[in-house]
Parts: sequence; C-alpha cells; structure tokens
Amino acid sequence: MITSNMLAEIADTLQIVPWPPQPDALLASAGVLILGALLGQFAERALGLPRVVGYSAIGMMVALAGFGLPEGRLPVGWRLVVDLALAVMLFELGSRVHLRWLRRNPALGLTSAAEWVLSLVAIYAVLRLADLAPADAAAAAVVLSIVAASVVGRVAAEAKASGQVTDRLMLLTALSTLYGVLALKVVSGWVRLGHPQFGIEAIAQPLYTFAGSLLLAALLARLVVALAPRLDLRDENGALLLLGLVLLALAAARALNLSTLLVPLAAGVMLRNATARPWVWPRHFGTAGGVLVLMMFVVVGTAWTMQTLEAGAAVALAVLLARGAAKGLVVVGLARWSGLEWRQGAALALGMLPLSASALVLLADWYVLHPESALRIAPIVLSAIMLVELIGPVAVQVALRIGGEGSSAEATRGGASR
Amino acid sequence: MSLPAFAECRPFALGIELELQIVNRHDYDLAPQAPDLLRALQRSALPGRFAGRSTRFSVELATEICSGHAEALAHLRELRDALCQAADRIDVGICGGGTHLFNARPAVPRGPGPPPRTLAQLWPELGRQSALFGQHVHIGCPGPDQALVLMQGLGRFVPHLIALAASSPYEGGVNGGFDSLRQRTLSAFPLVGRAPFVLRWSEFEADFDRKALTGVVEGLDDVHWDLCPQPATGAIELRVLDAPLTVEKAAALAAYVQCLARWLRIERPFDRLLEPGVFDDVVYVFNRFQACRFGLDATFVDPSTHEHRTLRDDVKASFDALELHAMELRAEDAIRFLRFELAEGGNDAAWIRNGVAREGLLAEVVRQQCVRFEGGVP
Repeated sequence: MITSNMLAEIADTLQIVPWPPQPDALLASAGVLILGALLGQFAERALGLPRVVGYSAIGMMVALAGFGLPEGRLPVGWRLVVDLALAVMLFELGSRVHLRWLRRNPALGLTSAAEWVLSLVAIYAVLRLADLAPADAAAAAVVLSIVAASVVGRVAAEAKASGQVTDRLMLLTALSTLYGVLALKVVSGWVRLGHPQFGIEAIAQPLYTFAGSLLLAALLARLVVALAPRLDLRDENGALLLLGLVLLALAAARALNLSTLLVPLAAGVMLRNATARPWVWPRHFGTAGGVLVLMMFVVVGTAWTMQTLEAGAAVALAVLLARGAAKGLVVVGLARWSGLEWRQGAALALGMLPLSASALVLLADWYVLHPESALRIAPIVLSAIMLVELIGPVAVQVALRIGGEGSSAEATRGGASR
Repeated sequence: MSLPAFAECRPFALGIELELQIVNRHDYDLAPQAPDLLRALQRSALPGRFAGRSTRFSVELATEICSGHAEALAHLRELRDALCQAADRIDVGICGGGTHLFNARPAVPRGPGPPPRTLAQLWPELGRQSALFGQHVHIGCPGPDQALVLMQGLGRFVPHLIALAASSPYEGGVNGGFDSLRQRTLSAFPLVGRAPFVLRWSEFEADFDRKALTGVVEGLDDVHWDLCPQPATGAIELRVLDAPLTVEKAAALAAYVQCLARWLRIERPFDRLLEPGVFDDVVYVFNRFQACRFGLDATFVDPSTHEHRTLRDDVKASFDALELHAMELRAEDAIRFLRFELAEGGNDAAWIRNGVAREGLLAEVVRQQCVRFEGGVP
C-alpha cells in the first residue's frame, strides 16, 4: 500500500519540487491548446463551421465556469498574447490593402468612410438613448464601430477565399480599424479638453500616438523591404524572421506608449503599397503565429461574466442592430455603383458583423486613458463582443459562401456539370 | 447531323481570339472573378467582344474581322485597354501565358450524375479541370476546298507556330521541362492533333458524318484539331498557339499566319506535301512534340526531304521566304517583331524562365506578366 507519505519521499528523492505539483501557466496553455485544437477540428469537420468558433467556445466555457473577466481588463500575460496575435493578423491584413484600388474605384473609399461614420452615429444615438454620457457614448461608439480584423482575416484564410467580397471585406475591415484607432484618440482629447489641467496634453497625446505609430510602422516596413530580397519569406526561417520583426515593432510600440493596433496595420499597408513586388508568406507566419492566434481567440472568449451580460446585453443588442443596419444600408446601397451585384453587397454587409479582439484592445486602451469611463462602457462593449463571438465567424463564412468565394463553394460549383 | 454550308469570306481576312488569365493583386494566384470583370467592362462600342469561359478565372477576348496586322493590332490594343481599365476597377490583374505559373487548384470532384456522354459535355469539364489559355487565329478562305488545302499546307508550320508562341514552361509551381505545357496537357484529350488528311470538302463532310454516327461528336466545336475548318464563318481556325504575354505578340503571330497562308496559296512551295502519303504522320507528330518540348531549339525534320535541322533555322528561313508577302499584306512590322524576338531568346517561355531565375518568386513573375500585358515594361 503506497501512502501519500511514501509518494512525497519518492518525489523528494527525485527532486520533484514543489510536491504535490501546482497547476501553472504552462499547464493552462497546454490545456487551452489541446482543447482548442480538438474543438476547432470538431467545429470544422462535424459542424462545417470555421475553426475559430471552436477556439472561442473554449474561452466562453471558461467564462461560463465563472473564471471570466468582468471588466474586460486582461491580465498582463493574456494581454501580451492578444497583442502579439493581433499584431500578426493586422500586419497580414494591412499587407492586403491596395491603396491604388481606392483611387481607381472611388465608390469603394466612399463606402468605407460612409459605413464607418454612419455606424458611429447610429451606435452613438442608441447609447445616448440608453442614458450614457456623451463622452462615454462616443468612446463606446468608436470601439464598437470597427470590424474584427482577427475574425475576418482568419475565416477568409481558412476558407482560402478569393474574390470581390473577400478583397473588399479585408479592405473595409482594415480601414475601419484605422479610423477606430485614430477616432478613439480624438475622443480622448475631446474628453480631456473639458478638464483645464489637461490642456496641452489633450492635443499632444493623440498627435504623438498618431505620428509616432506611423513612424515606427514605416521603420518596420523599411526593415522588411531591406531584408526580404536576402531571404525567401515562404520558407520557415524567413517567416520566423518576419514574425520576429513584427514582434520587435510591437515591443517598441508598447515601450513608447504607441498604438499596438496602428503600428502593425500601418506597417502592412506601407509594405504593400510602397513596393510592387508581391508579399507572400505562410498564413500567420507559420505555426508560431498560429498558436498565438488560437490563444487569442480563447482569451477574448473569456472576457465576460453573467453580471456583465445582465448589465449590458440589452443595450449591446440594440447597438448591434443599429450597427448592422448602418453598415448594411451603406454597403448594399453603394454596391452597384462600386461594381458589385446586390447579392455580393449583401454578403459584404453580412461579413462586417464580427467584433472581437481589436475592440477589446481599444477598450483596454481606453482603460489606460480614462479608467472610470471605461468601467462604465465595459459591460456594453463586452456584451456586444460576447453576443457575436460565435455568430460573427459564421456570418463571415456565410458571406463568403453567398459571394461564391469559399473553397467549398468553388468545389461544389465545379462539380455541377452543365 | 451534318456540317453547315461553307460561308463566304474575304481571303486572308483575320480574326483573333485570346484566352486570358485573371489573377488577384495580392499573391497573383488565379482569381475566379470573370463575372465581376465582365460586369465592370464599360458598355462602350469596341472593335470586338468579351466573353466568359467554362472557368471563372479566365476571360476571352475576340477581335472583329480585320484585314491585316495594323488593324488587328489596333483592335487588340483597344480591347486590351478596356479590359485593363475594368480590371483596375475590381483590383485584379490580367495576363497572358498558356498556363498559370503556380496555381494549384485542388482536383475538382465531379458532381453526382453520369460521366459526360458526348464531347460537347466533356470539353467544358476538361476546361474547368485544366487551366489552359490559348490564342486562336482565324484565316478567311475563298471556298471550302481551298480551306482544306490551306489547312493541310499550314500543317508543315504547326511546329513553328507552337514554338514561337510557347509561353507555358511552368504549371503548378513546377518547371515542367516543356516550352508549352499547355500543349502537353491538351495532347491527353480526345480528338486533338492533326486533322484527317482530306483535300475535298465533300470527303471532309463524309468523314465527319461517319464520326457523327458514333453519337460522340455533334459539331466541329467538339473536335480540337491543331487546324480546323470553320464553315460557318468561311475560315480555318488555328488553335496551337499559347496565349502570348502581349497583344503585340498576338497580332504579330496572327500576321505571320496570314503571310504563311498567302505564300502557300500563291507560290505553292510545298505542294508535293499534299500528295497522299508524302507528309508522314511520324514526321508531323515528331516535329510537333519537339516544338512543345524544346521550343525553337527543337529538331525539325523537313517533311519533304527528311533533312534534320533546328526549328530556329527553319523559322528564320520562313521569315526570309515571306518577305514579299509581308510587304503585300503590310505585315513587315509583324515579321520584324518576330525576328527580333527570335534573336532575343525566342519565345515567351524563355522570358518566363529567365524571369523565374532572376526573381526567384513565381508570384513576382506573374506580376510582371500583368505589367507586360498592360503594355508596360516591368
């Protein structure tokens, strides 16, 4: 009969300290990875859904079990994971934004600006009706007006989608993220202008973030351009170097208090548009980035509790409806003029539903600038993210199918013999 | 089911069809956006038309009937500009080339239902499964018998045309060792290669009726011979050309065919080949394979003398012999263009191989193909 004393003695001899073993971050990460991979596979194979649905579901289960984050304030380690993964995805998304297209097809730029402004106004109106103070309502409206780059990028990549709906969805998503980051700084400045002691800071701070982020992004883009001819970005080593460069820029952005969203996004855009050469690298820079992305979706999935939902779900639902209506109105309304069929316009509007990590990061940024205001808007923002957590990726998938651009759609059509 | 009557057409009138690739502007893979592209085309009056094909990543451009090189080139340029403008509006690229360099489409599973029973059902399916892009040239003929004589006469120059136009050395990311992988793929399909050797329309019709009795062939659209009569338009159609990288090359190749046709018809230099049993199938098949595989460096077996020489030499000899006809048809520029290309490297396949060696990135070479098609210099 082995007693626990004997076990402890054996452990002592083998120098297993501490005994009994303590669960730690490594164990948690392993669990998340294994469960995430399994559930992702299940979502894809058994349900025909995007894998991210499985990843997010893990996070939601953690939150349901009572370990959610009521205020959406991420612990340092988790925030790092989200920042890293999002940087990778924003850089990828940015590198697909072709600015020349906006010049060649003016309807597209107008669609982008109009859908964002109208969503902003619609969300602001709903929040004001829900008795939020103007400053809070403005901040929340900005946070909720953007489209989730992580979900759009991930689902489109998974479906190997290619076509007008895919390309435009990526473009509109990237631009809305750009507007959101800038607008939040402007709102912050506006709030601070109300307090006399913050006079100069109110203007200097947004300017610093904006200019500094763009400068850092330009540096990153230049570095990639300088190094790229020397190595093949498609092989593992090249992709890892690229990942390293993006992470380095992110580290600098965090150290200098610049925008962790703007730096990778702008760097991707600059890279794409400063050079004609196509940029080809493995999705998420290979497995390393893939792990980060999986963990990010899990982490974002945990950012709510039952109390959060009770406090914010009703308003969040109204916000989502207003947001969807605003985006739908503009995107569908301008579809024909911009060269889409109605069907494709509707698909594009549907694909703009997701809200995810980038909204959470904007909320985190708002916490740093205005903690009390952030506490007031957190329930609504978190509820909105939670409400579209699972249906957002599915909406993108359906949108790509309606557009006839997912890989499965192509296969089906190819088989249908005339 | 019998063939339509042979329509009247101005001798040596030209018509050109180009099958072009639609690629995305991100990684330059094929983009299934033909419907978007056709929708984006401004509905202005153009000297030709655009059409979709059985795949959504390809668009076809066809000129109106032209009298010669200059007119064909002007038409092609106008159509090209309209196409590229539309492509810009939806942010896709258009390029030539017989195959896409690296597209690796998963094998398209067949849907439910029985396999195709006729060639008419089979061809669209083959088209969807193999992304091939060619140039077709139509040459007007004064009558059906003359058309068949011209068709058989041009058979000697099929290797020349294949080698000059070859632009598909890569497929699925792999250098296949052929100048024209498109031809290699096509050669596995039914009813391709040399047309039956008959010189009278009545015999051709009888032969075709026998084929139709099998229930496999319904019309001339079902056969994909290198050269094929088109009675509905009163022309013969040449199908061996890979889609070239520029419209200038496309116009030059068409003009070369036109000059050959005039030379064959007026000087009759190779009439001995029209006697039964002289131009052996072995020579035809060997020359044709050599041209697909080695391009202009191929070995060419002279069908009349069975002398062996390089294809490049015989192409040059044909340019010299055509001089007078090029002047008559105002196609000197075209022949000069081809002579210059011959001196440079030979064909677009060579350009693509050089590009891959220089850039080391297939996507970048496809981007440069797009630039060249637009009329720019990469």
